[in-house]
Amino acid sequence: MDRARFEQLLEAYGADFARWPATERVAGERFAEEHAAALAAGLRDAGALDAALSSAPAARGDLADLSARVLAQAPRPAQGFGARASWALAACALLGVVIGYGGGRFAPVATDADEAYFAMAFEAPVDLSGEEG
Amino acid sequence: MFDPDAEYVRKAGAGDSRAAEALVRRHLPRMVALARRMLSDAAEAEDVAQEVFLRVWREAPRWKPGAAKFETWMHRVALNLCYDRLRRRRERADPDAGLMVADPAPLASEAWLAQQRAAKVEAALSQLPERQRAAIVLVHYQELSNIAAAEMLEISVEALESLLARGRRALKAALADVVQDLIGEAGGAPRG
Repeated sequence: MDRARFEQLLEAYGADFARWPATERVAGERFAEEHAAALAAGLRDAGALDAALSSAPAARGDLADLSARVLAQAPRPAQGFGARASWALAACALLGVVIGYGGGRFAPVATDADEAYFAMAFEAPVDLSGEEG
Repeated sequence: MFDPDAEYVRKAGAGDSRAAEALVRRHLPRMVALARRMLSDAAEAEDVAQEVFLRVWREAPRWKPGAAKFETWMHRVALNLCYDRLRRRRERADPDAGLMVADPAPLASEAWLAQQRAAKVEAALSQLPERQRAAIVLVHYQELSNIAAAEMLEISVEALESLLARGRRALKAALADVVQDLIGEAGGAPRG
């Protein structure tokens, strides 16, 4: 650490060494102790700017409503196999009822011609070869 | 690279409400604070934070720990949303309208020095170029390391230091009276 680098870091990160890069923090603190008098004015000014920035706290309103809105949009658990299987079974049962009911209603209605054909099917065959005597 | 959020994100993506609550508890206040500093507008800051989490929920089911930590990704999303809003403000702004943030002048009549200072600091921050403002918000207010802040801004650490130094120089000039008051208070010397 030399003075140029110290001042570069002070200008960028301020007087609070906690904000300095982790790799240069210890060296910076040691350098400040060793050159306290020479660095006093720079550290004081940078510290005052740090304090000025920190004097504007982030407005911390009540975030309960916002949290609730955000959580309402969070992903929901995917349905498991059991739940999906139950829905599939229920859908099959409903389809069966619909088909059964609809099938009965829309089946063809028997007509007179149908009945005639049905009766003919059970009549004795007519002997067309024999002649009356 | 260990990511303390990775497990919460995986579980939240699968619909675990406790993991989602943990992510909200851990990150929502920080997202609101970041957007508040960037936009100087509480309502807009909440909108940004909500939009960030909408994207979190959308990405969570397919989130894979990779090059960037989840928190880094969230900050990038939040910053980009803030930049979009700032750009839209600039496009809408009347060139004679001046600042879009609350003018500290109305507070001048108030007795509380702290509020005056806070308003001045907010106004000074809002006048910084947005990248300088983002750098200062990430390092000073969000208290992120230089490496994390540089990743969030997608720049090198050297470029981050340059943004910080320029931003702080501009703030020092804009807040000269506040800084002098604070030096006087600390040293017990009268302001001069």
